[in-house]
Order: sequence, then C-alpha cells, then structure tokens
Amino acid sequence: MQVLTTIAVLATLLSAFALYAVNYETRGLAEDVRKREQIIDRAHRDIAILKAERAHLARPERIGEHARRLGLMPATADQFTAYPNPDPLQSPSGR
Amino acid sequence: MAVSNRTGVNAHPRQPVIDVIITPGLAEETLSRTRAHGRHAHDTPELTALAERRASRIRALLAIAVMGLAFLSVGGQLIRVAMKGQSQQQIAMSAPIATAFARPDIVDRNGRLLAGDIVMQSLIADPSAVLDVDEIVAKLRKVFPEVNPDRIREALADRSKKFAWLRRGMSDAEAELINHQGLPATDFRPELRRSYPLGRTAGHVLGFVDIDNKGLAGIEAYLDSREKVEPVHGPSLSARPPLRLSIDIAVQYAIEEELADSMRRYQAKAASGIVMDANTGAILAAASLPALDPGNVDERFEKTRIDRLTSGTYELGSIFKTITLAMSLDSGKVRPDSVIDVTKQLEVDGYPIRDLHPPGRPLTVGEIFLKSSNVGAALLALAEGPDNQNAFLTRLGLTTPMATEAGAVAAPSLPARWGDIETVTIAYGHGLAVAPIQFAAAGAALVNGGYKVTPTFLRDSRNADQPGTTVRHRVIRPETSRAIGEMMLANVASGAGTGTRARVPGISVGGKTGTAEIAGAGGYRDRSVISSFFAAFPMENPRYVSLVSLYEPKGTTETGGEITAGRNAAPATSRIIARIAPLLGLLAEQNAD
Repeated sequence: MQVLTTIAVLATLLSAFALYAVNYETRGLAEDVRKREQIIDRAHRDIAILKAERAHLARPERIGEHARRLGLMPATADQFTAYPNPDPLQSPSGR
Repeated sequence: MAVSNRTGVNAHPRQPVIDVIITPGLAEETLSRTRAHGRHAHDTPELTALAERRASRIRALLAIAVMGLAFLSVGGQLIRVAMKGQSQQQIAMSAPIATAFARPDIVDRNGRLLAGDIVMQSLIADPSAVLDVDEIVAKLRKVFPEVNPDRIREALADRSKKFAWLRRGMSDAEAELINHQGLPATDFRPELRRSYPLGRTAGHVLGFVDIDNKGLAGIEAYLDSREKVEPVHGPSLSARPPLRLSIDIAVQYAIEEELADSMRRYQAKAASGIVMDANTGAILAAASLPALDPGNVDERFEKTRIDRLTSGTYELGSIFKTITLAMSLDSGKVRPDSVIDVTKQLEVDGYPIRDLHPPGRPLTVGEIFLKSSNVGAALLALAEGPDNQNAFLTRLGLTTPMATEAGAVAAPSLPARWGDIETVTIAYGHGLAVAPIQFAAAGAALVNGGYKVTPTFLRDSRNADQPGTTVRHRVIRPETSRAIGEMMLANVASGAGTGTRARVPGISVGGKTGTAEIAGAGGYRDRSVISSFFAAFPMENPRYVSLVSLYEPKGTTETGGEITAGRNAAPATSRIIARIAPLLGLLAEQNAD
C-alpha cells in the first residue's frame, strides 16, 4: 500500500514536471515560429519593395535615356538584312 | 506505523512477536484491544477494536483522497495551461480596424511589373491624448513641408475620439524622420499601398485604387470585380499569382513616346494610339495622352487626361470608308474594279455632298479608297441603304456598347434618325461617333480574314494568344477582307493614295487616313479636326492593327500648313510602326523573305 502510494506520488510528480517541461518547450517553439514568421514577413515586404524599385529603375523611360547616352537607339529597318545565302553548305566565305 | 506497532508489542511482552511480523493486522487488533480495554471498560473488547479499525481506515482514505484531489487539480491545471497555450493579452485597439485590400501584382505580357503592393507606414494619432496640436503640426511640417496644417488640426479637433490618421503611406525612411521628431500621442501603422513603378506608362489601362487599396478604375477595378483581391486586417501581402496583361511595356512606352513627339510636332492637344493583335484582339499597347499617373490622385479628375481610346466617342472621319467599302464589296454589288461615276452632282436630303479635290472623272472602287472620295463612299452607301448599313455596322459591333477588362467603353452615339443623309455621312465617318478602341476592333475584323475580334487586355484571356480554342465568328467574306487589305496596302505603298507617308522601310503597311472635323456647339468648328490613321501590318498576312489619332493638330511648316491625317497621323504611324516592329519581331522576318 505505502509502496504503491509512493510510486504513484512520484509518478504524478514526474509526469507533472514532464508536462511542464513539454509545455514550456512548446511555448518556446511557438515563439520561435512566430519570430521566423516575422522574419519571413519582413523578407516578403522587402522583396515587394525591391521588386517595385527594380521595375522603377528598369522603366523604359530611364533605360532609353541611358542607352541613347551610350550611342544606342531603336533598331531601324536598314539594320536588318536577309542572309545572302540561306544554305550554309554553299557559304561563299568557304572554310 | 510499523514502529508504533512494535512499541505496542514490546509494551506487552506476553504477545508473541512473530505474530506481529507475520500478520500486522492481528497485532494492530491486539493493540487496539489492549488500549480499549483501558479506556472503555464497559464495551466488548471485540466491538471496540472493530470501530477503531474502521475509523483509522477512513482517516487514511480521507488523507489519500485529499492528496489525490490536490494532485488532480495540479494535473488539471497543467493540462489546461498546456492546451490553452499562452494567453496573449490583446492591447485594446483604439481605432476601428481599417479593412484594407491585398491585391495581386499586375505584370505585362513578359512578366514585367506594372503595379504591386508594398508595405508603407501611416502615422496615426490619439486626439484625446494630444496636448499640443501646434507642436504636432510644426514637427510634421518639418519633415513634410507640403502638409496642410488645417487638415491636421481638423483631424485632431475632436478630443472625444481616440483615433485619427495624420499621414498615410510614408516610406520607412520618412517614418524614421518623423520618429526622430518625437511626436507625442502618435504611432505608426503599417499599411498596404499600391505602387506603380512605371509612373504614367500604361496608366489609363491600369486604372487606380482608393486609399484603402480598393480598385476604382481600369484593370485595378477588374481585379476587384473578379474577387482577386482579399480583404486584410493589416499589412499582409497577397499571395496570389500576378495578373498578366496583353500589354507589352516596351511597345507601350515606344508608342507613348512617339505620340508625345507627334503631339509636339503637330501641336495637337491630345493623342491616342492602340496596337492590337488582329487575330486575337490582344491589345499590345493602348496609350492616351496627356497620360495619367495612377498614383496621383489629383490627375484623376483632370478632364484633359481622360482615356480617349475608351472614354470618349469621336466621329473618326474617312477611316470609316474602309467599313463602307467592305460593306459594298461584301454584299457583292461592286468589285474593286467596278467604276462609279463620282463626277455628277450629289445632293441628299437637300445637302450637297462634295469632294475636297474633285477627281473630275469616274473612279473605280479601289480609286475611291485611294482618293478618299466622299461622293464615292456616299454613292456606295446609298446603294446599300440605311438598313443594310445599320446591320453591317452592328455585325462589326459598332452600334452596341462594348466593354473590355479595363471597364466599359463609351457607348457609340448613333444618329437619332437613320435616313439617307445619315447613311451618307456615316459612310465617310460623320454622324456616328465611336470610341477609337471599338473602331480598331471592327477594323481588325476587316483585315484578319473576316473574323470578329474582341479586344482584351489580358494575355491569358479566352480569346487571346490561342486562336482556334474558341469558335471564330465570321463577319465578312475572306475575299472581302483580302480586297480591303490590298486597297489599304495600295493606299500606302502605291504612291497614289492618301497614306503614302505611313510607309515604313522593310515592312508592308496598309492603312487609311481620316480627318474629321470636330462638331462643337452649333456646328462644326472651323479647322478643328481629329486626324486618324488606321493601319494594318505586315500586309502579306496582317497580324497587327493600329489606330493613331491626333486631336486638334495645327498646321506646321513640317505639314505644309495642313492638318490632314495624311500629313500628321500617317507619318506618326510610320514612326510608331518602324519603332515597334523590331519589338514585335517583325522586321527581321520581313527582310529575310
């Protein structure tokens, strides 16, 4: 009788401590998850802003200006020509 | 207990010790009996012992029960705590939670960002806690000099309130500056804001949103109507896939730039241009100048910035002759080489119909197109009659209201009475006003082999980019479409037409000019015109149609003082096509043949 009681008491105490430990661990993990979610959220926000900034920097208006400064311009018809000899085996340049 | 037993046993040496060890119950019994013997001499020793035993059992059970309950309550509490988790104390919100909307991105056909949500900071205040309004105004103006002090004072005036917006949509850097000012009774709240990184490019198509990120116009309103936006309580970005438009921002920008250039050259008040896939109706570019910045609230209400492609209807002039000729050819009454006598005096319902430059000889149907003869178009339309004309225009979708994803298109203004004179004026593009986008759609059907086209701003819409998946609805015969294409090509390429200046080296362009006088109060305003050029290219197998319109251009030295479309809209179209053809992958193909 006494032995059983003692074992029961000990078991209860042990399980109580174990439960407490698990509970605190769970809380810790939950907190960890929350922090990570915050970091992910923050990263998403940053990505959104960077995407907008990249699009703003790559807008045709700005790229066009830079390109013209480098001497580039929209393609014109005289820049295109048909390949003089479409059959590469009869290439006039030879090898 | 064992110890006390032994003590008891020892006190009575007559009892055998072995008894106690083997049967403690008997020893206990003996002990009680011995004790009872002393106290209650009058009781039977057996009975007393029995009662004693029972009492001690009950005491023990009681103790166990109490302990058990205690442990149970501890255990129960543990389970409760473990299951409920930490009880987060919510700080009472002092403001109604603003319901905002998380919107997916809008991208062009190549996935380049046109509109997207970003998280920005908004400054809020608790008016009941504000002590010095002037201090807040002063500090706010240090960072944002454009802040209206009266508006801030008004927002903070009602001290019974616990919430007021002070400024919405600040960047993190601006919020930091405000933070350094140390404003009492204020706080920041992150909010979703719509950003338009390209500024005015494609602004009319995109539309705009209100302060809570709800779509009000254009594609933004389409997103709302299709429930692609989600109401959110806080700055959570939408996880939905972006909406892909048919617009190509490279083509869009090229057109906007060329239109702006043409507006300067020809001193026009406004300009519009659209490029559409002639087969699918996918709109690659749609521009209306002066352009609209979707992010700028003030510009939304400026009348000059209306989207002329969709929100205005205009009498588009002689480009309508393309439709008139298609009608006559399609009915089979005439052929492109049929000769019509346009030299005779024409008077309809008392109105004389004249040509600007009378040819002085009979013209073929093809020549009527090249010379843009009003009399010729009038005669052809009269031969068909008002009812047939109405039916033909209806078949092309020019008499019924149209809508795109970017919203409803201004409904065509039809004549109140559709008699002979109306038939005649409509034949050359007066008396029936339509939105340019609606004409472009009808025009596409004339050159694409005769199939009806529904304009769309979406790349993956039902009819865009996947011809054959939907039933194509034929509106004119393929021979008619071919004949119209040949006339349009001749009008530009032959040198005898009005559209010669639309020629583009290396590309076969076909088109029709239209110079329409603008009807003002009490008649047509003198020398105030809309000059348009409707074009298709490449003419071997038309893939794209374009409609470029200049509103109220003036005669310049470049145009020889003229304001006709052949001198301004046609060369503008030429520059646009030359510029966008490489972007559409056309030029190389053409010259490689």
